[in-house]
Amino acid sequence: MQRSLKNINVWTFSAVAIMALLFLPNLTIVGGIFTPTNDNWAHMKEHVLWSFVSTSLILVVATAVLTISIGLSLAWLIAQYQFPLRNFLKWALILPLSIPPFIGAYTYHGIVNYTGVIQTTLRDRFGMEVNPSHFDIMNLPGAIFIYTIFLYPYVYTITRIFLSQQSASLIETSRVLGKGPWGTFFRVVVPISRVSIIGGASLVVLEVLNDYGVVKYYGIQTFTTAIFQTWFGLGDIETSIKLAASLMGFVILVLMIEKLLRGRRQYSYSTTKVRPLPLIQLTGWKAAGATGFGLVIMSLGFFIPVIQLIDWTILTFGTIPMAEFMSYVRNSVTVAGIAATVIIAFALIVGNFGRLVHGKMAKLLPRLSILGYSIPGAVIAVAVVTAFIGLDRSLAPLYQALGFDTTLVLSVSLIMLISAYIIRFFAIGYNSIESGYDKIGTNFRDASRLLGMGITKTFFKVDVPMLKGAIISGFIIVFIDILKEIPLTLILRPFNFDTLSTKVFQYASDEKIMEASQASLLIIGISALSIIVFYKFIEKEPK
Amino acid sequence: MFISIDNVCFSYSNTKTAALDQFSMTIEKGEVISILGPSGSGKSTVLRLLAGLEKPEDGSFNIQETVIFNEKKFLQPEKRGIGMVFQDYALFPHMTVAENIMFGLFRFKKAAKQERLQEVLELVELEGFADRYPYQLSGGQQQRVAIARAIAPKPHLILLDEPFSNLDAELQGKIRKELRDILKKADITSVFVTHDENDAHAIADRIVKLKDGKIEVIGRPCDILNINRQAVVEAVALVEQRDMMSV
Repeated sequence: MQRSLKNINVWTFSAVAIMALLFLPNLTIVGGIFTPTNDNWAHMKEHVLWSFVSTSLILVVATAVLTISIGLSLAWLIAQYQFPLRNFLKWALILPLSIPPFIGAYTYHGIVNYTGVIQTTLRDRFGMEVNPSHFDIMNLPGAIFIYTIFLYPYVYTITRIFLSQQSASLIETSRVLGKGPWGTFFRVVVPISRVSIIGGASLVVLEVLNDYGVVKYYGIQTFTTAIFQTWFGLGDIETSIKLAASLMGFVILVLMIEKLLRGRRQYSYSTTKVRPLPLIQLTGWKAAGATGFGLVIMSLGFFIPVIQLIDWTILTFGTIPMAEFMSYVRNSVTVAGIAATVIIAFALIVGNFGRLVHGKMAKLLPRLSILGYSIPGAVIAVAVVTAFIGLDRSLAPLYQALGFDTTLVLSVSLIMLISAYIIRFFAIGYNSIESGYDKIGTNFRDASRLLGMGITKTFFKVDVPMLKGAIISGFIIVFIDILKEIPLTLILRPFNFDTLSTKVFQYASDEKIMEASQASLLIIGISALSIIVFYKFIEKEPK
Repeated sequence: MFISIDNVCFSYSNTKTAALDQFSMTIEKGEVISILGPSGSGKSTVLRLLAGLEKPEDGSFNIQETVIFNEKKFLQPEKRGIGMVFQDYALFPHMTVAENIMFGLFRFKKAAKQERLQEVLELVELEGFADRYPYQLSGGQQQRVAIARAIAPKPHLILLDEPFSNLDAELQGKIRKELRDILKKADITSVFVTHDENDAHAIADRIVKLKDGKIEVIGRPCDILNINRQAVVEAVALVEQRDMMSV
């Protein structure tokens, strides 16, 4: 009995420790609100803080409205109608998600700027000298365009899957009751899909608030860029903590609005028999319109930037030494691999804790550590650096005893970057593992224990083999997200440590956009491949 | 007295009413006990408490001289030496029949393991199926693997949760007899829960009737079951009729 009890304690202890590690650094941000203010902060509050707030608001609201319009209308077209290329568009419309917005941002800038393909063609072929300012994309509307065209798949995918699970009779009832297609759309489809629309849109909003690459490259002042500027430009970490706390407040507001909008209403069908929607055949100009709309969106979001990147890669191939390029690949794969492995291991432990211990705490604690994904990278960066510098300070006597001649060891190592990844992306891995645990239930575990296996042996012999699918898919999602990650990697990487994404960002910032294309294509290729694999995986699952 | 259960009380954390109220009984070695009751009567709770999957609020449970739980002690499920056959069988899908059965035999020596595997496979008449995976078996076969797996480590007690609910009606009659034969042949003490009086009547040596978490009655099937009483009444009537006719 003693031994078994000890086992439970080891599991409980590790789970609680992990959750504390994931959550505590963010408390430094909360603590930062209460530190005394300095001149920089007073200056910011008086002159620029409001402009950060309004810029961020405009970006968030405009992007949300546009992604919902595009995502929902595409989801409805695909779910209800049959038209040429529908089956291709159905999955191809997800592909823009594989292009990180900052890569899209510099690619579009390269396409439309003075030396880009559009203006040179106009000049050389047609002899038209156009006003370059008409083609300036590096502004607020430009950033909104970039976010919309690369993030709408969040709304599209979630809503389309939701609509495909709805019963045909709902839609048919509305038609029989005399509502036309538009009436049905606004009176039935939009209200029932509300939860999934808001779910998708809030992912979009969180991505926009988290983004650093696009706004930095386009020179737009938002919270994230301001946090980094006060930190690196002014060397004022206290003010950047205060900015981070304000941004955090903004995010909490978004989460609260989301909860409010979702309300208690979780629509679900009242019958168990769900007959899928029969597709309505579109003909003539209507069919052409549907196909055209889908093709335009997917070209803007995928084909055009990818073709441009391929073109640039061919032009510059060989200018980056292969050995150097491979070292970026190796770095990317190493950090993403280590972080994803740790995240999955942590998620397995925390998820198992949720099953072993009953009661409210066991349910609440994992929820708290999941918050990490709503916290923007810039905030996490500030939190992690603050925590690691504090850690280094308290470990300084140890470093001296070991004979190091520096007091900064952990905070200049890869450990800091990897820790930040783990805090930021834990939620994604955890979601996958948790749904895996839900799927297998507790009977297999109970059966194993009644056959004499302790909790730990059961975990390795029964739980882990049965969770294989969830472990693999969780690992891949986390791995790819880290591969694309920009702000954390830029700030927290050790000196001279470059990954594919930091290199892309650097080349683009140095106006060497052609050189950035090779690494960009590799990132996009890996993401697109996994999206396609996942798409097939989701579709195969019984509904 | 082989097994004694005294005054066991339990309630789930999300409800106020007791799921099980002062449950007490004794079981002799080799006996087959059926816990009979409608859904919500607390019959599955009894199994989960005996197995160690829930912690009782009060009461004690002993097998021979060993305390399984009382107010001071709580033995974890893996230390109890109790086998269980789950309603959905819970056969490990990533293991073959043989691996499933040998899962609980990790304390056996290699040769003894093989021997025991053959023994129980023979007992449940699945000799040729050792290398199959669970999804390659029929429902009835899966159940027999689950029983074999549960009895392989020679537990003091085996618990069966609604053993017939997942089988089609035609199979049920056949399986009832099979199950009773297996349990008796293995000379194993067993407790199974069911909501079906026919199940209880066909297999059990004694029946515990539960209602709202309380024991209504404990007794032999022939003494307490209506179907039986009905049959007795009819038989008596028949005899009387015949007697009258013969007069």
